[in-house]
Amino acid sequence: MKKAPHELREIAGWMAATDIGFLELRMPGATVRLGRRGGEVVALDDGQRNDEAPVAHPPGATKRSGPPIDTVSSASVGVFLHAHPCATAPFVRPGARVQGGQTLGLLRIGVLLLPVTASRGGTVAEVRVEDGATVGYGAALVDLHPL
Amino acid sequence: MIEILSNAALATVQDLGRLGSLRFGVGTAGAMDDLALAAGNLLLGNEPGAAGIEIPVFPFKVRFGGDCVFALTGADCGAKLDMAPLLPWWSHRARAGQVLTLGLPQGAQRASRAVLCLPGGVDVPQVLGSRSTQMRGAFGGHEGRALRKGDVLRAADPGRACRTGFGLVPPAIAMPLEIDGLVALRVLPGAEYLGFEAASRAAFWAGEWRITAQSDRYGYRLSGAALRPVAPMELRSHGIVPGVIQVPHSGQPIIQMRDAQPSGGYPKFGTVIEADLWRLGQAPIGSRIRFVEVNWDEAVAALEQKQAWLAKVARMVALQHSAPMGVTA
Repeated sequence: MKKAPHELREIAGWMAATDIGFLELRMPGATVRLGRRGGEVVALDDGQRNDEAPVAHPPGATKRSGPPIDTVSSASVGVFLHAHPCATAPFVRPGARVQGGQTLGLLRIGVLLLPVTASRGGTVAEVRVEDGATVGYGAALVDLHPL
Repeated sequence: MIEILSNAALATVQDLGRLGSLRFGVGTAGAMDDLALAAGNLLLGNEPGAAGIEIPVFPFKVRFGGDCVFALTGADCGAKLDMAPLLPWWSHRARAGQVLTLGLPQGAQRASRAVLCLPGGVDVPQVLGSRSTQMRGAFGGHEGRALRKGDVLRAADPGRACRTGFGLVPPAIAMPLEIDGLVALRVLPGAEYLGFEAASRAAFWAGEWRITAQSDRYGYRLSGAALRPVAPMELRSHGIVPGVIQVPHSGQPIIQMRDAQPSGGYPKFGTVIEADLWRLGQAPIGSRIRFVEVNWDEAVAALEQKQAWLAKVARMVALQHSAPMGVTA
């Protein structure tokens, strides 16, 4: 599942528009690292960063005992918000029944707000991240008991 | 196409204004909250200056005649699409027949005007280079007047398929400007500033000013401690622009707004800087405001900050529109 050069260029373009300094893509059979050199985003050679270096993305789901849990995880790096900045009431509280596609919270990325939505209907078991916390890609945000 | 279902008192089609026609005696008109209009347009991939609908009176109701994307910015009006609540400062998608309802502005950041943007902008003819409604001259916008129940408006690019379902941090939250909890506006001292008593000048910056009920798109009449001239000033009429703060004989200032006529004869105490007119455009009648003195360089820097925010919005929204499906929900 190697990325074609034009795909990498596109990803580098997205990265250039952010304040992200280093990006690592791990695919079966290949790892690509993009970093900044001066103002430009460039592919880094192997060895410029140790393969074993820890990468900070918390696991999307953790194994637990008890009833099955659906974990909604973060689709991007950003700031997790329980409520819209114009509102005070959170989108959901533990125990709330939600439908598939319903907004559970927001991810703030710079000026943008992206919705964090329920993958399917259920009951909110736990909101796992504090309001206003910075989260990484794949961070577990909300646990749902599926219906 | 959308059909207006409510008595849409004072809702008008506006773009960023009819610039360059003051010399013909034609005022600028344009959105009272230009930042909300530009941001709403960018959310749909429009040019920032495309025409939208400015809505100052609620409830406001429209029915979508066909499937259509749209954006809501400006005042948070507890909008609903049929029964489903909609987020403010957000891009949405309507199906044919659905009804959009905007209620009274709500929330701690209570603003006073909502902006509805459509794909490609509202399709009305350009007059003197702008689609804004010129109320005084009864031209531009939709038939040169405010919208009425039964009016039908078209989007210039109704079938546009762009990613929706995301939004922006409202600029009043991203770039707040307050003193003692009141909306503050930056002001450049005007040509006749020094013609007012020192105590009045000091009181202008230190005091609170209430926006009276005699305030609209033409101008805001303020109430507060009267501003007294050292000696009576009689001026010939001269050119004025939105933002100019005039002081009539009563001493109670008037701030010219987007529909202001292009000339006037009252002494000019100062000018609300261009970069802050959107804050004033959203300040509700009855609310109190404060003024902050700035110099030319600070006024230009404020304009640059506003433009930088819009540039960031344009860039981030473009990324969002071009991102492969599945990267975001």
